[in-house]
Formats: sequence, C-alpha cells, structure tokens
Amino acid sequence: MKSGIRNPIVKYAFYAILCLWGLSVLYPLLWTLLDALKNNDQFFRHLPWALPDFPLLWSNFSYVWDRYNFDSYFLNSIVITTGSTVLGLLLAATTAYVLARYKFPGSGALYLLYMASMMVPFILALIPLFFLMNSMHLINTKIGLILVYTSSVLAFGIFVLVGFFKSLPKELEEASIMDGASYFGTFFRVMLPLSQPGLITVAIVNVLNIWNEYIVGTILVNDPTQYTLPVEIGVMQAEMQYRTEWGPLFAALFFTIVPVLLVYIVFQRRIASGITAGAVK
Amino acid sequence: MESGSAKWQRRLFIALFIIPTFAFFCLFTIYPVAKGLYYSMFDWSGMSQNKDFIGFDNFIEMFKDPIIWRAIGNDYFLVLGKVVGIMVLATFFAVALTRFNFKLAGFFRSIFFIPNVISVVVIGVLWNFIYNPQIGFLNAFLSLFTDEKVTITWLGFTNHTIWMLLPPAIWAGIGFYMILLIAAIQNIPASYFEAANLEGAGQWKQFVNITVPLIWEQMKVSILNIMMTTLNGSFVIVWIMTEGGPDNSTQVMGSYLYQMAFRQYHFGFGAAIGVLILVLSLITTVLLQRLLRHESVELS
Repeated sequence: MKSGIRNPIVKYAFYAILCLWGLSVLYPLLWTLLDALKNNDQFFRHLPWALPDFPLLWSNFSYVWDRYNFDSYFLNSIVITTGSTVLGLLLAATTAYVLARYKFPGSGALYLLYMASMMVPFILALIPLFFLMNSMHLINTKIGLILVYTSSVLAFGIFVLVGFFKSLPKELEEASIMDGASYFGTFFRVMLPLSQPGLITVAIVNVLNIWNEYIVGTILVNDPTQYTLPVEIGVMQAEMQYRTEWGPLFAALFFTIVPVLLVYIVFQRRIASGITAGAVK
Repeated sequence: MESGSAKWQRRLFIALFIIPTFAFFCLFTIYPVAKGLYYSMFDWSGMSQNKDFIGFDNFIEMFKDPIIWRAIGNDYFLVLGKVVGIMVLATFFAVALTRFNFKLAGFFRSIFFIPNVISVVVIGVLWNFIYNPQIGFLNAFLSLFTDEKVTITWLGFTNHTIWMLLPPAIWAGIGFYMILLIAAIQNIPASYFEAANLEGAGQWKQFVNITVPLIWEQMKVSILNIMMTTLNGSFVIVWIMTEGGPDNSTQVMGSYLYQMAFRQYHFGFGAAIGVLILVLSLITTVLLQRLLRHESVELS
C-alpha cells in the first residue's frame, strides 16, 4: 500500500526540517569534541564554529583527567551508578515478583503506594533527606548516594517488572515447584533468568538516570573528593567566572557524555521499550 | 490443601521479598516526604536545635513574598511553553518518522533521542555557551548580518531571560515524547490507514481523523508528564543556567526552595515551598485531566 507524502515540495520541506533537527542534536556533540581541543586564545579570537588550530590540544583531556581529578570523579560515578543499579534491581525484582504472583493482605495497597510515590516531587524530600543522611553520618559518602539513588529508582523498577512477571506463564513455576524446587529456587533459577529482558531494560534506564543525576549529588556531597561527574561539571562551570578554561571544560563535558552515549548506542531498543513502559503509569 | 509447613514457607518467602524493599522505601522516600510536610510548619534555620512550631506562618509569609509569585508564574510559563513546543514538534516527528515513509526514519529516530540521555547539567553548560555574550554561537551568528559585533547578554535581561530557558528545555525533552508517540502510532492497525488511502484521504486528513484520536491517550499522558516533570524538576536547568537570576527573574519554585534552604538556611520556609510544589502539581494534574478528557470527547 503506497502512502507517504505525494507532493515532492512538501516532502523535501519535511526532510529539511528533520535534517535541521538532527543537526541541532549532532552538532553540539561534535562541537564539544572540537572545542575540547582549543585553547582560550582560539575561543576569543575565532568564531565559535571555527575548527581548532593545529596542533590539536589533546592535552586538555589529560589535563582535566589529572588536574581536575576526573579520574576519581569518574570512578565515583561508576561505583555509585553500579551499586545503586544492582541494589535497586534486586529490591525491585523481588517485590515485583511477589506483587505479580501472590495475593496477601495489603498487596494491592502496597502496589498503589509505590505507584503514587512517582507522583510526589522528589524535591519535597530533599531537605529531610539531607538531615537524615547527616544524622546517619552518610553525607559525603558513596554509600549515602547509593542508598538514596536506589530508593529513587524502586517505584519505576517495580512498575515495569510487575508487568513483566505477569506476562510470564504460570505453568513455569508450577513445573518448577513440582520438581521439588523451593520458592527461592524457583525465583532465582527460573523466573529471574526468564525476566532478563525486563531486568536489562530497567537497569539501563536506571543507569542513565543515576549517572546524570545532579541535584541530590550536590546536596549530599560537599567534599570535592567525593563528587560525581555532573556535580563536578556544575562546580567547574561556576569556577569559569574566575578562571576561564574553556577547552578543559569541554573536555570534561566530553568525558561525561561519552559513557551514556555508548550505553545508548548499544541498548537503544531497550531504552525505547523502557520509556514506553514507564510513561504509561 | 497446603500443609502447615508449606504455608509457613510461603509466608516467609513473601515476607523476605517484600519487607527489605519496603523498609528501604519507607526510610529513604516516605519518611523524608512526610518529614518535609512536617518541617513546613516550623521556623527553623537547620543549624540550631530549637525548631519553633509556627503552624501555617511559613505559608502566610510565602504568599506575601513577591518572589514566590514570580516563581509560580515562571513555572507555569515553562509548563505552557514546553507543552506547546514539545507536543507540536514531538507529534510532528513521530508522524513524519512513521507515516511518511521516509528513508532514514530509523536513523533520525535514534538521533533525536540523544539529548534525553545527556545530563541536564551538561545541557545547561552547552546552552550557556550558545548564549555566551563574548564567545557564544548566537551572537557570532547574529554578527554575520550586522556591521558591528553583537554582544547581547542573552541571560541578562530581567524581563525576558525566562524565555531563553525554553529552547534548551524543549530541545532536551522532545525525544522522550517522540518515542512514546511513535509507539502509539505503531499500535494503530494499518488497515485504518489503508482504508483512508483508498478513499483518497491525504496525510493531513489521516492525521486529524485517525492518528490524533487514536493516540490521544498517549498525548494526554505526555502533556501531564511534561507538566509534572516541569513543576518538579525544571529548577535543575534554571540553577545551572541562571541560578534564578538576574534579580530573581528566572526563579522557579524549585530553585527558590534550594536557595532558601541550602543557601539562606530557611529550612522551614524551603519545606513550605516543597509542599506548595506538591499541592500545585496535584491540582494541575486534576484540572488538566478534566480539561483533556473533555476535549477527547469532542474529538471522537
């Protein structure tokens, strides 16, 4: 069946719009890389879209990595993102499985509570969270951030995984129990491996959110050695008023963008399905 | 019939799978939210031990504060601007990439989503560079058409700076809603469009009579989602790009909360702003749902 646009002028106009928008997305990425190779002089003398002069200043990358301690921020971000994704997935999957398969008094209310929490602005919890973490001596610690981020991704994980577990046939568990497996064995050896696609989807969406998180990071961390990448980017930008180092700033942006971009390129489909599942709450 | 021990095993299993998650959730989500409501009734600097219970005085003080009204206005300005900007473009892209048989549709779809995986902090810094008065793109571009070098301080006008925050917010938000609408359009049975084609209905007619009514649910979800995320989260981009300035002109409720609590140590007042955000987003959700339901009846 032939559809699409019949009028060629309209068709090319639409193409032009799509190309322009694509350019508006790709160009800033390219220009982040190009600007990371310039020195201040080039920023002030040349047009912003000018290519960097030769020799290219690859040293901006190592400069940011060493002098701005990006090696440790990078590591902090990786530890925190990994820790809260794994813990969040374990806690969400166990609860989601029970909510999807077993009825017990209050199970419906519990599910509603998790769902309703997605409606509450997280910023309302920010002030008490600061004092809670302070009283638990978890300010400026990776554990503190891991705990808060884990909690913040629970509702989304439960929502997606309840749907996923419900879509798996019940006969699988019945067969497993008949074979003499315990409830725990059934869950960990049968159901969890089968729900891998759902788990991966939730994990990726969580990784992207936690890696990019800024505001909780700023509030719960004020010790520069414990910053995550986005927090350091915020600090660096604020410092630009006093010492302008545009090249290194763009190198820093580049380090922050590249990991999520790689995750996105590899897992595109999963991210799209996670979004479609998560937005219809 | 289950035996006694099997029943007990089942209970233990359920408890072990439910309780740790719930305990976690109570401690790091429910408790802070409840405490936030509670703090809003106190005059408290955060540093001192003594908190004075003052009931609704924070709210009374808040509503006498001209800045909060400005912040509310800015929040709803961003909601309106983002709903219009994002919905128009996201719908257009979603339709273009599904119904127009463009080659490269898959490529465009992948590209358009990229801003959604980038941190808001990074987006804020990139757009600050675009707006930079001396070395930014915007002024350099405008200078091509003028004799003198343009040196407009884009983030410096008290009356219009909030407008400058709309482009980055829209640019960063479109991909997510586009993906959502693409999924909705792909769920429409192809036979509907085939029948319309046979009757000679063009793309525009198909869009108005088939696509929009059938994806209206997802459009509604999108509009509600844009509203919620804007009221609850737009302060990050505000904080990175303008810190609420100049002269509080780009303040939104969230950035004002942050400033009051963590810069000026009025934690009780900050918590009251948090409650205001919650109440306004709930009210707006209900109102929008009413409004959009009404229109969907008229459409179908």
